[in-house]
Amino acid sequence: MTALSEQQPPRAIGAFRRRRRRRRPPLLILICIAIVGLVVICAVTGTLLAPHDPDLQDLGSSLQGPSASHLLGTDDSGRDILSRIVAGARSGFVGPLVVVIGAATIGTTLGLIAGYRGGWRDTLIMRTADLVFALPGLLVAIVVLGVLGGGYWTAVAVLTVLIAPSDTRIVRGAALAQRELPYVDAARTLGLSRRRIMFRHIFPNLLPLIVANAFLNFAQSLVALSALSFLGLGVSPGEADWGRMLSDNLQLIEDNPLAALAAGAALVVTATSMNLLGDWMYERLSDRGRAR
Amino acid sequence: MSDPLLSIRGLRIASRLDSGENTILSGLDLDLAAGETLGIVGESGSGKSISARAVVGLLPEGVHATGEIRYGGRDLLSLDRRALQRVRGSEIAMIFQDPFTMLNPLMRCGQQITGLLRDDRGKRLGRDARRAAAEQRLAEVGISDPGVVDAYPFELSGGMRQRVGIAAALALDPKLVIADEPSTALDVTTQKEILGRLKELQQSRGMGLILITHDLRVAFGMCDRIAVLYAGGLLEQAPAEAVEEAPRHPYTLGLLLCEPPGDRRLAELSVIPGSVPQPDEVAGACRFAARCEWCRPECTAGEPPLLEVGPGRLSACIREAEIADEMAAARAAASQRGHLELAARERAPLVEVREVSKLFGGRHGGREVAALQRVSIELGAGESVGLVGESGSGKTTLGRCLLGLETPTSGSIVVDGIEASDYQALPAAQRRELRRTVQMVFQDPYSTLNPVRTIGTTLAEALTVHEPRLRNVRDRVGELLERVGLPAAYAARKPSALSGGQRQRVAVARALAANPRLIVCDEAVSALDVSVQAQILNLLVSVREQTGVSYLFITHDLAVVRQIVDRIYVLRHGEIVEAGPADAVLDRPQHPYTRSLVASVPRADGSWLAAGADPAPAAEVLTERLGTVSTGTGPVAEEE
Repeated sequence: MTALSEQQPPRAIGAFRRRRRRRRPPLLILICIAIVGLVVICAVTGTLLAPHDPDLQDLGSSLQGPSASHLLGTDDSGRDILSRIVAGARSGFVGPLVVVIGAATIGTTLGLIAGYRGGWRDTLIMRTADLVFALPGLLVAIVVLGVLGGGYWTAVAVLTVLIAPSDTRIVRGAALAQRELPYVDAARTLGLSRRRIMFRHIFPNLLPLIVANAFLNFAQSLVALSALSFLGLGVSPGEADWGRMLSDNLQLIEDNPLAALAAGAALVVTATSMNLLGDWMYERLSDRGRAR
Repeated sequence: MSDPLLSIRGLRIASRLDSGENTILSGLDLDLAAGETLGIVGESGSGKSISARAVVGLLPEGVHATGEIRYGGRDLLSLDRRALQRVRGSEIAMIFQDPFTMLNPLMRCGQQITGLLRDDRGKRLGRDARRAAAEQRLAEVGISDPGVVDAYPFELSGGMRQRVGIAAALALDPKLVIADEPSTALDVTTQKEILGRLKELQQSRGMGLILITHDLRVAFGMCDRIAVLYAGGLLEQAPAEAVEEAPRHPYTLGLLLCEPPGDRRLAELSVIPGSVPQPDEVAGACRFAARCEWCRPECTAGEPPLLEVGPGRLSACIREAEIADEMAAARAAASQRGHLELAARERAPLVEVREVSKLFGGRHGGREVAALQRVSIELGAGESVGLVGESGSGKTTLGRCLLGLETPTSGSIVVDGIEASDYQALPAAQRRELRRTVQMVFQDPYSTLNPVRTIGTTLAEALTVHEPRLRNVRDRVGELLERVGLPAAYAARKPSALSGGQRQRVAVARALAANPRLIVCDEAVSALDVSVQAQILNLLVSVREQTGVSYLFITHDLAVVRQIVDRIYVLRHGEIVEAGPADAVLDRPQHPYTRSLVASVPRADGSWLAAGADPAPAAEVLTERLGTVSTGTGPVAEEE
């Protein structure tokens, strides 16, 4: 058969692709990966990595500046700041992670239904999403948490609901575009069920978008959760949490400025890294499987 | 020949990668005399468009050219941006393929044409003078409706836009015009009109014209000289009639033989095996060696030089002299191959479409557009039926209705005894039955395969959806791939690692997975290169012989449709204007529209252009414009 000699060209295309995919990410991204990696390690190992017990009070050595035993000094109860930053990575990481996964699951499901099915489902889902979207997020969270009495996991749940509409919108828009592509028509002519087309065919094509958006949402919810903790609506007082530390130690700014600034810096650096990573990852993932 | 208008020497174009360079084109030498028409012919990946872009200094980012492009005593490649800008437009103009993107959507047509016009003292023209100039330029390209001056590009049809584009490109009276596939996106009747205009303008103004095309017949009709490019190199260059008469390179011969003849049906089309390689893969050898039947070891020993093989004729085949007779014999044998007579057979009906209409739009007070108006067609079991028409004729809509991708507004579609006009209303069992019976092969092989899934997953899904308890899925996938001429190992690949022709084979395999009784082929070969197109057509013919499947073959290409169908329906504006056996419709068309379609098919002798030079009557231009205004907003326009 004549076609068998068609075999050669793809090899070269494949080699070309592989070469490109192995390209090293830029330095800035490597730094971001290192920072996020460090935060993850801290979150997983928690207090094992900390030089001191983050909750151990030692009033004899309170409000010290940086020293060999306390690299970032201590706060007014004599707790080691560095250890508290390390321990704070857990609430700084786990909460946003849950928010992001929850919001992505809700948003993707609703977005796919709205975008692919259209009609009244689209109207219902999108008008609801618009409504939630229109609310001033942090303000609503403050009010709801104030009524419900605060607490870390309540804050996580409220944020999930508030962030899901942005995922819904993005996924719906992308699903609308995918719906018109011939491969979806091809799947329909094969007789595949709607659910299968939505979740097995369209969803993988939207994955880069969803992942990238998750990173951006992560940064947003990290900041929001910390803000709630800062306001006293998130974690309970005294717990190691970056937002909480920022508010607790703000009054010590003249005695040991690092106590507040280190927590703030940890927040800013982590959120920024996540944002940059999200953008970069989107570009990379959306290259995958591209025709030409 | 005096000094050439344009002279290209040793042009090499490459794109930079992280590691090294990717050659796109190398060692190109070309001359163009004033007033001459040069056709650059090649398949995708041959480097024909990029070489034209190098001339006007419009290479995409990351791509650079070395060598020499001499024009008017200067080397265009060494000019700075400002100097080049003065040359562009006023002396060298470019016409692009896509009339939809070539014009600025926010500027009125008149502005686009006269924007750069200056009077003798270099001042901008006054309002009235501009308008007069615009109207005059439009009249030159056959638009006599002065209203077009004030129209925005989106208000015009594709053909009208291309005309405006040509008027804008020629506004400054350039000495050299480069037209990059100017008619590829257009219908055949419009193509003929536009090319006729271009030729006329080129001759009356004495411009040099470089016409870039994939269609040899178009090149023969338009050009004085033809240069054949393949995988980034020049293989043959000769006067057009000489190439038509006796090509002196095996690739040119292959291209000529692959072209489906418009006047008869062949039992099997000639093919060039394989597909176009990347230039770097074939560096240091004859570029065509891997696909050439006359290939000898010496062909791959080094890059063959361009040899003078006759007056004004160059060929890059070192065995040219030896194989000239064999090539002539192959050509003669091909032209001797007789017409395949089709025996008329009584067939049990498989599909009956009765008075189907489909309206789009009309909601929210919008205008209603009838894509189909009381269309009736029939299709017998094992029969292959062609649905022919230009864009907007409703042929794709009819195909989609058959597959349940659209629901007709009225009328009935009966497929194998099942009323199929509304898939959603059917009980699940019948719907499944229908999906098994009717399958589809789509036009664009790049987008009908899900880019993130492997070929194997795609085919396995197509198999299991109809037989959920199928066990040896892997073997069946391999079988399917082999049936369409691909190795079974391809199951592990993703679509991006396949060439266009290979993807279309996979698409055919996917359609075959359900063992359908009817396959709707919607422009299934239009997006492919000629050499690959013939392979797929042969595949479709052999699949039908083996399985007895019926085809509904939707296409605009009359030469292609002749090779594959028994009967033809001609659609125009959603209505069937002519129907009958393929031979009768194509050889003795009755309806004036069918006659004009048949007459517009490009023919090598160029006579097809001759009739296209008469000015389009004002009324027709106006309806063409209004017709687009009404359909341009409806979904009909998305059809193609």
